[in-house]
Amino acid sequence: MKDFKDNTRERSDKDVLRRLIGYVLPYKKQFLLIVVLMFLTLGIQLLPPLLIGLTIDIVSDETLARSEQIRYLVWMSIGFLGALIVGNYIAFIQNMMLQKVGQKTVVTLRNDVFNHIEHLSIGQINQVPVGKLVTRVTNDTNTISEMYTSVAVNLIRNVLYLVAILVVLFILNYRITIWLIMVLPLVLLATYLFRKFSRASYRRVRANVSEVNAFLSENLSGVKITQIFNQEKKKRNEFRTHSKKLRDSYLQEILVFGIYRPIVYLISMIGVIIVLYVGYQEVMLTAFTAGLLFTYYTYVGDFFEPIQQIAEQFNTLQNAFASAEKIFDVLDTKPAIEDAEDAIELNEFTGSIEFKDVWFSYIPDEWVLKGISFKVNPGDTVAFVGATGSGKTTILGLIVRNYEIQKGQILIDGIDIQKIKRSSLRRHIGQMLQDVFLFSGTINDNITLKDESISPLEVKSASEYVGANTFIEKLPDSYDHVVLERGNNFSSGQRQLISFARALVYKPSLMILDEATANIDSETEELIQESMEKMMNISTMLIVAHRLSTIQHSDKIIVMQKGEIKEEGSHQALLKLKGLYYNLYQLQYDEKESAPAI
Amino acid sequence: MLLGKHFRKYYLKYAAYFLVGIAVLIYVDWVQLDIPKYVGGIIDTLKAVTPDEEMIRSSILSIAILAITITIGRFLWRYTIFGASRRIEFQLRNTMFAHATKLSQSFYSQEKVGGLMTHFINDLEAVRMIFGPGILMLIDGVVFGAFALYRMASLNVRMTLYAAIPMVILTVVMVIIRKRISLMFKKRQEAFERLSDFTQENFSGITVIKAFVREMKEFMFFQKKNEDLYDSNIKFVKYIVWVNIGVGIALNIVILMIIFFGSYMVLNVESTGFTAGQLTEYLSYFFALIWPTMALSQFMQIFGQAKASAVRIEKFLDSEIEVKDAEGALHIDDLKGRIQVKNLTFQYPDGDRPVLKNVSFEIKQGEMVGILGRTGSGKSSLVDLLLRIYNLEENQVFIDGNDIMKLSIESVRNAMGYVPQDNFLFSDTITANIGFSFNELDEEKIKESAKLADVYDNVMEFKEQFNTILGERGVTVSGGQKQRISIARALAKNPEILILDDSVSAVDTKTEEAIIKNLYRIRKGKTTIFIAHRISTVKKMDKIILLNQGEVSAIGSHAELMKTSPLYQDMVKRQTLENLVQGGANHEGL
Repeated sequence: MKDFKDNTRERSDKDVLRRLIGYVLPYKKQFLLIVVLMFLTLGIQLLPPLLIGLTIDIVSDETLARSEQIRYLVWMSIGFLGALIVGNYIAFIQNMMLQKVGQKTVVTLRNDVFNHIEHLSIGQINQVPVGKLVTRVTNDTNTISEMYTSVAVNLIRNVLYLVAILVVLFILNYRITIWLIMVLPLVLLATYLFRKFSRASYRRVRANVSEVNAFLSENLSGVKITQIFNQEKKKRNEFRTHSKKLRDSYLQEILVFGIYRPIVYLISMIGVIIVLYVGYQEVMLTAFTAGLLFTYYTYVGDFFEPIQQIAEQFNTLQNAFASAEKIFDVLDTKPAIEDAEDAIELNEFTGSIEFKDVWFSYIPDEWVLKGISFKVNPGDTVAFVGATGSGKTTILGLIVRNYEIQKGQILIDGIDIQKIKRSSLRRHIGQMLQDVFLFSGTINDNITLKDESISPLEVKSASEYVGANTFIEKLPDSYDHVVLERGNNFSSGQRQLISFARALVYKPSLMILDEATANIDSETEELIQESMEKMMNISTMLIVAHRLSTIQHSDKIIVMQKGEIKEEGSHQALLKLKGLYYNLYQLQYDEKESAPAI
Repeated sequence: MLLGKHFRKYYLKYAAYFLVGIAVLIYVDWVQLDIPKYVGGIIDTLKAVTPDEEMIRSSILSIAILAITITIGRFLWRYTIFGASRRIEFQLRNTMFAHATKLSQSFYSQEKVGGLMTHFINDLEAVRMIFGPGILMLIDGVVFGAFALYRMASLNVRMTLYAAIPMVILTVVMVIIRKRISLMFKKRQEAFERLSDFTQENFSGITVIKAFVREMKEFMFFQKKNEDLYDSNIKFVKYIVWVNIGVGIALNIVILMIIFFGSYMVLNVESTGFTAGQLTEYLSYFFALIWPTMALSQFMQIFGQAKASAVRIEKFLDSEIEVKDAEGALHIDDLKGRIQVKNLTFQYPDGDRPVLKNVSFEIKQGEMVGILGRTGSGKSSLVDLLLRIYNLEENQVFIDGNDIMKLSIESVRNAMGYVPQDNFLFSDTITANIGFSFNELDEEKIKESAKLADVYDNVMEFKEQFNTILGERGVTVSGGQKQRISIARALAKNPEILILDDSVSAVDTKTEEAIIKNLYRIRKGKTTIFIAHRISTVKKMDKIILLNQGEVSAIGSHAELMKTSPLYQDMVKRQTLENLVQGGANHEGL
């Protein structure tokens, strides 16, 4: 699974639309109001041409007295100014309401997506590249926000505009309007064809863009191979081919737009010509006036714009749908591990653990653990050793239920962990993981994980207990020292010590520690050793060890190989066996003695 | 004209497109403004006591002819100007990629691929904008605006002065406002990035979050960030809405003024000669003036962005190609595989200490040599130098007695076959990957190479067999398969010198043995260099060069080193123990 797509069914545009509308439903009252207000603002927008027409008729009407004409002009100006102010005020309110509703919808959607991912199991999250997950939460929701606040709105607005303008035209002169409506099929046909071609060309462009980008990112990373094999020219030609395909699809797009836009112009000019021709005859024969003809002429010029806009925004809509689909794929992915309905809350925990014939695999049939059984008494320290891939780290992940086992049972204080709520289980277990992940922020934030109920004093004493204070207090801002992204400004040893403190402040009943494999300078190593020995006294402790020196004092050492327990016992007892543990011990002993660095 | 030297040539190259496009655009801009004149004429005629219908009909006909002309013209300038911009983008993109293929590794070690991609995506687009829509906006803004003003002025100078002043102010204000908008947009973008960074970090550290049951708390932080983004969005939008409304009000007030004063003049038509038709004509010109105002300020905005992008692209195109042929470099087509390394000391351009110190050895033609050492011993650096990935000082490395620095890079690399450590393969068919060194693909040779690399059977199991596309969009193959395909790629070349850089680490020992056996058979008389950290890989080779911390620690056969080199003995012992601990030497799938 590289994405969430696999988990879910295909969905139709209708489904997607229904769910998207579902997010807007809480705001339906506001939406109704927005539409009403929109009508009002459109009215203001339609006002100037009407006024111009009227004015022309009045000022050129020789039957009217001069004073009357001037009085009209003054009143018209005042009225226009008033309408302008009121209208724009309404427009402002309407626009802001709309934006707020649209943005709030997206805030909700984004919260939902984040929260949903946050509650998936670690296995599910780790299968998908982080970048993709982030895109779902940020960019995809952004595309949808754009759809709500600009595309959908413009769509509504344009449709309303079209309706409003038609109504006004009808009122002014229904005969010309009927003639004018005959042009509509032409526009619709042009738009239909445009939609068809533009969709195809848009897809080609998108496809070629991603092809060029994929080629680029691969070949920029692999330029060394290209150079070594003397194939620069070949690659340049390949790129040229991709690039040319992209160019041609762009040229095609230009062609599609280059034909459509002028054609719409031409059609609108046909409308204008009809208006002028029919209109002038109307003026000659009926009460229709020259001024109104001008009004009409101005409206017709704007009449086709909404249709063109709707047609051109369709691709954005399509994009939003694609994003929405991906988001719903995430939301429809059920967490792989969920608490049982009758899961219990674990209030106390003495720290006894038992594995009973546990079998586990990440991938079906590739067993990582093959029938593991062991028992840990409260307060004991047990260490797991073995080569990479022997399954020792996996054991720790199973205790905190990052994964569900396939066979066997894991008991904590005699209770099957599948019957315990995960959150309450984890609350009692202090985890110190192999790659210590530090968040950007301060050291204090990283120890408390921003839990405000943990006092600075507790942070300090925990740090002192594990010996992290020695380096923290040397820093300029001490506990408020800034941690850069991923903790890059700290050595792996220092990171490890911070993670010890982090686990301690949460007062765990059980501590599990996956020792870092990375190089640690000898000074820090000593600190780590000391604090580990101290921590062993606090509670039950399970250690996955890479340095045998650290675990010699543990109550029990479990030696693993290829998913099975091979040896078990104390350090001295295992050495006497002269088996696997003995070999491991020698390996490390030799390393210390004769091996150069790294 | 605009932008810098790398871009200037395109104006010339596409001069025909631009000249035709701009000429048509200007022509259309001019005749477009004839239509209001005809309409005004019709209005005036209709106002007459006995309208001249003939004149109205001929005006309508003229409008029809104009409409057709304009339609064709609009198509033409779109196609020429926008088309030229895409063609320029195409050429630039190719030039940039060609330059990218020439740049040396020292460049790539400093630049991230993501950053380079930005030049290809965002910067190129910004430059393209200036060549396409930018030119349109500039011409429309200046020429169309001038035309409209001219026509307004020829109707009434005084009113035009009054109307033009607010428009000029509006243009200037819009330029300032757009700057402000970009700034606010940036702020909004920052809020977005904060949310994005938070999300990224949260998902990367999800293990910690779950371990300490912080999901709810993190969700609260996310909500806060999400609301911050909402606030900055709303703030941004509010500004935009204000600006739109402000501009709308300003324009409408000018329109009202024109209507008012225009009407007043129409009332005094005897003294002013200003007719109702002319008023409509005048208003139409004013409506036409709105677009140039907007276009000009928009042009200023995209021009600013394009300039910044152009600078970045130029910097990239001007970045130095460090590894290149010396002047008068020797081109030798049939280099053989004798390699001498004499007192080689090397330090990476951005390194702070030498990675190779005083290294000397000789490899005879046809020898099978293992280079052994721990991580950091300098093995891979040595390979980089043999492949001439970096520059080195003269008289340190010789191929066939020729100083590598005096040979042409092409002839050095032609003689080499290389299996990289990371087994980089292209997202292409298996055939294309194995036949990477050739322009013409010889299927027999490709199959033969696949067999030698012991990957033939695996390939035949794929549905598309040798036409299987690898990589993200195709089939994901295991690390071991990748390694063997990459070995086949080097073998297909049948090079004089074959370098395998830790290339069998991901295959199991049995496959490794099979591959090495094949190599002994086909590499007779040709030099093969095996970089390895496993003793089993190099045990049987003619010669083992043991590197330690950048220096040659020992040279000799396995038997000799077992006797003389304590370091070698230690490595052997350790690896035996490691195998025991792991429970057999099965490396695949660990």
